[in-house]
Amino acid sequence: MSVIKRLLAFLLSLLILSAAVFWIARLAPGDPLISYYGERAERLSPADRARAEAALGLDKPIHVQYLRWLQNALRGDLGISYKYKQNVLTVIGDRIGNTLLLGGVGYLLIFSLALALGLVCARWRDRPLDKILCKLGTVTACIPEFWLSLLLILVFSVTLRWLPSSGAWSLGADGGSAADRLRHLALPMTAVVAGHLWYYAYTVRNLVTEQMGAGYVLLERAEGLSRGRILLGHCLRNVLPSYLTIMAVDLPHILGGTYVVETVFSYPGIGTLSYESARYQDYDLLMVLCLLSGAAVMVCNMLAQAVSRRVDPRMGAGMDGEVTDRG
Amino acid sequence: MEKLLQIEHLSVCFDAPAGTVEAVRDVTLDLAAGEILALVGESGCGKSALCRAVMGLLPANARMEAARLSVAGTDIRGLRERDMRRLRGKVFSMVLQDPMTSLDPTCTVGAQITEAVRSHAPKLGKDEARRRALELMELVKLDGAAARYDRYPGELSGGQRQLVVLAIALASGPKLLLADEPTTALDVTVQAQILDLLRDIRRELGTAAVLVTHDLAVAARAADRVAVMYAGKIVEIGRAEEVFGDPRHPYTWGLLASLPALAKKGESLYAIPGMPPTLAPPPKGDAFACRNEFALAIDYERQPPMFPVTDTHFAATWLLDPRAPKVTRSVRTGLPDAAEPERRPPAGEVLLDVKGLTHRFPLPGGRSVLALDGVSFQIRKGEIFGLVGQSGSGKSTLARCVMNILRPQAGTVVYQGVDVWGRLSRAERRMLRTDRQIVFQDSAGSLDPRMTASELIAEPLAVNHVVPPRGSLRAEAAFQLHYVGLDPSYLDKYPAQLSGGQRQRVAIARALAMEPSLLVADEPLAALDASIQAQILELFKHLQAQHGFTFLFIAHDLAAVRHLCDRVGVLYRGKLVELAPTEELYVNPLHPYTRALLEAAPLPDPVRERRRPPCRFDEAAFDRSGPLVEAALGHFAVLGGEEAAP
Repeated sequence: MSVIKRLLAFLLSLLILSAAVFWIARLAPGDPLISYYGERAERLSPADRARAEAALGLDKPIHVQYLRWLQNALRGDLGISYKYKQNVLTVIGDRIGNTLLLGGVGYLLIFSLALALGLVCARWRDRPLDKILCKLGTVTACIPEFWLSLLLILVFSVTLRWLPSSGAWSLGADGGSAADRLRHLALPMTAVVAGHLWYYAYTVRNLVTEQMGAGYVLLERAEGLSRGRILLGHCLRNVLPSYLTIMAVDLPHILGGTYVVETVFSYPGIGTLSYESARYQDYDLLMVLCLLSGAAVMVCNMLAQAVSRRVDPRMGAGMDGEVTDRG
Repeated sequence: MEKLLQIEHLSVCFDAPAGTVEAVRDVTLDLAAGEILALVGESGCGKSALCRAVMGLLPANARMEAARLSVAGTDIRGLRERDMRRLRGKVFSMVLQDPMTSLDPTCTVGAQITEAVRSHAPKLGKDEARRRALELMELVKLDGAAARYDRYPGELSGGQRQLVVLAIALASGPKLLLADEPTTALDVTVQAQILDLLRDIRRELGTAAVLVTHDLAVAARAADRVAVMYAGKIVEIGRAEEVFGDPRHPYTWGLLASLPALAKKGESLYAIPGMPPTLAPPPKGDAFACRNEFALAIDYERQPPMFPVTDTHFAATWLLDPRAPKVTRSVRTGLPDAAEPERRPPAGEVLLDVKGLTHRFPLPGGRSVLALDGVSFQIRKGEIFGLVGQSGSGKSTLARCVMNILRPQAGTVVYQGVDVWGRLSRAERRMLRTDRQIVFQDSAGSLDPRMTASELIAEPLAVNHVVPPRGSLRAEAAFQLHYVGLDPSYLDKYPAQLSGGQRQRVAIARALAMEPSLLVADEPLAALDASIQAQILELFKHLQAQHGFTFLFIAHDLAAVRHLCDRVGVLYRGKLVELAPTEELYVNPLHPYTRALLEAAPLPDPVRERRRPPCRFDEAAFDRSGPLVEAALGHFAVLGGEEAAP
C-alpha cells in the first residue's frame, strides 16, 4: 500500500524533474548544433541550419518537443548524444562503471573512516589527540579538491613517479588488470576521500559528544560501565540513525563530488560527461544524466528513511505502549 | 562502629570562565549502613555536586579536596578511574532526576537492566542475567515485569521509567544509593510509591540512601536523618524529628515557614528575603547572614562552626553560641489544624462558564487520547479557582481551550457572556484579547530571550494599541515591575540574566500590564524553589487582593492550591471528578481519586509520615464514569455505586 504510494510519488517527481530540466536546458543560451556539428555549425547557411534543426526536432515549440521526448522515452528510446552520435545509454554505460568505482569505494571509505575517526576524537575529546586530529582535519577540509589533486600529481606522479597521473587504466591495455586499475585509482581516490572525510568525522564527533552529556551516560557510568563500552554500546547506537541519514542523503553528493577530481585526473567518468553535456547543449544526454542523479537522490532519501526507521525504535509507528505522559 | 560513608572537610570547586565557583564548602557528613539521609536545599546549593563527588563523576572542570572520603572502608580519594569503576554499581550507585533522559532510548529496558547486572558479573550466563533482571523488576514493583522486559523506554510512563532506573541502580546490590531528586519530575501518586519503595528496599536489602531533594515534605516522608544545605555548606543536620520538630538554624526556619502545608488558611507565608549568594567567591562570614533577620554582627565576619544541639543534631549558626542573645523562633512545626470547612454556594456574577468541554488528541497509529471529557464548571467574579490533577489529566489543555489557544472539539467556553469559540465581532475579539491573560510554567521558554524585561512587559500594550496609562510604555513597564517587587534596574535585563523567580515575576507583570479581569496561571510555581514559590504565591495573593481579578490557578501542588484558592476542581484523566470549596474538599474529599491524591501528598511532618500506611493503588483504576452531582451544598463529585452522599 505505502510502497505503491511511494512508487507513484517517485515517478511523479521524476516526471516533474524531466519537464523542468527539459525547459531550463532549452531556455539557456547556447547553440545545440555546435555539439553536433562542432566548428562547422557556425558556417552553416540559414537554410542548412533550419534543415539541421528540423532533423533534430529542434524547430518545434518546447512543449511539443517535450511530449515527443516523453513518448520516445516511454518506449525506451532516450535519444542520442549530439556530440558522441551514439545512443545516450551507450555513452553513459561506457563511463558509469568508472564513476561508481571511484565514488562508491570512496563513499564506503569515507563512511567507515569518518566513523572511526569521529569516535576516536569523541572518546579523547579535548585531549591532545583530539586537538591534533581536529586541527589536521580542518586544514584538509579547507584544501580545495583540485589543488590537492594537482599536489598529489606533482608529488606522486611527477616527482616520485610512483603512480600514474591520469586515466582509468594504462594505454593499450584495454580494460587493464586489477592491479593496474588500482594504481590508477589510488590518487583520485585519495583526493576524493581527503576532501570529504573530515566533514563527516567532525559530524560524528559532535553527535557522539552531544550524547556523552546525556543522562543515560552518567547513569551507566554510575553502574560501573567503562567509557569505551558506553561509547560503542550506547552512544554509537543513538548516533547511528542520524549518521546513516546524513550519509544516505549525501550519497549522490559524494558520488557526484568526483566531478572535479575526474576532470583533473582525466578519469573517464560521468562527471566529465555531465559537465560537457550541460556546457554544449547536448540535450538528450543532459536529460538522462539529470534524471539519473535525481533518481539517485530520491532513492537515497527513501533509503535513509527506511534505515533510520529500522535502527531507531522511536521512529516506528508501531508503538503500542499506553499513552500516559502528556503535559 | 564503622560508618558506611564518611566525608570529612570535602570541598568541590568548579573552574568557570567567570571565576572559580565553590559549590561544596567544607562538608563533613557520615552515614551508617542502612540509613536514609535526606540532603535538602535549594537549587545551586551544592547537593548534586556532593553526590557526584562521592561517585567520582564530577565533570572535568571540577576540583575536589577532602580530608577523608571513604565508602565502606575504602578511601576513594585519588582512586584511578579503573578502580572507581569497580566500586560504582557494586558499592554505591545513583538515580538521577529526569527519568526521560536517564535511559538509553534505543535499547529495551530489559537489555539495560541486564547490562547493569552483568557489568559486575561478566561471567553470568545470558539466561541467568535475564532472570536476575526480571527479579529486579519485581523488586521495584514494576507491574508486568515480563511483559515490560522487551519494551523501549519511550513506551513507558515517567514513573515506570524511574522504577527501571532504580532497578538498574540496584543491579549489583550496592550498599549505598545516591538518589538525586528521584521524584521531582513525577506526580505525587508516583512519588509516594517511589519513596515507599526506597524504605522497603532499605528494609529488605539494607541499602542505605542519600536522598537529594528540594522538597522538605519528601525528606520528611522518606528520611531518617535530614541535612539542610545552603550555599555549599551543611547548615543543619539531625534526625528528621529533630530538624522538623526543633529546627535551630534560621534558614531552616525560613524554609519551613515558606511551606503552604504548614500555614493556616489565611495566614501569609514567610518568604526568605533576597537571593542565595553567588559562590564565586563565597561571601565572608555566614553566607546566609544578609538574608537572616536574626543575623548577629559576628555573622558578617566569621563562619559559624557546627554547634551541637543534641548528640545527633547540629546546626551552624552563631545563635547557638552561649554568648548569643536568646531568640525565639516564630516557625510552626507540625501541621496546623484544619479550618472549619465552609459550605456555601458560590456567590457573585459568573465570569467564565465552561460547559461540556471535550477534546481528543490524535496519536500516530490511529489511536487517540481523550484529554478533556465533558468538563463543566463556572468561575465567578473575583474568585480564585484552583484546578489540580496529575500530568496528563488535561489541565493545560483546559487552559488552552479557555484562552483561545486550542479549539475544543465539543463544548462551549463563555466569557463575560461571549462564546469565545463562536463568531466574534471586532470589539468582542479585542475584549477577549485584552481582558484575559495567562502565565505559563516555564518562563524561561515563554519569554522571548532577545527582549528586555521592559520590552516584554510593554509588548501586550503595544500590540493591542493600548494607550499606556502612565505616559510611556517604559514608565508602564517600570510601574508593573515595581508592582511585582522588582526594582527598575531590571528593566533592561534579558530573561537569561534573571533567576527563575525573577523571570516568573516578569511574566506576571507582563500579564498584569493589561489589567486583566481573568488571569490564568498554568503551573506557575512548578519550576521554582520552595522559598521562591512562597514569594510568588504571596505575590499572587497580594495582587489578587489589590486588583480583584478572577484567577484560574492550575497546579499539581495540593498544599499551594489549598493555601491560595477559594474553590478547587479535581481533574482526573480529562474528567472533572470533584468540585468544592477548598477546605470542604481537603477535609471531606468524596471521590476516591481526590482521596488518593491527598493521601499521596507528602507532608513536612516526619512523625505523621512514619505512621502513614504504604501508598499502593492503581492510578488508572478510579471510577470516572458517573455524572457530577451535588453531594453537599456547593460540593460536587462524581460518585460511583458504593459512594453515598454524606
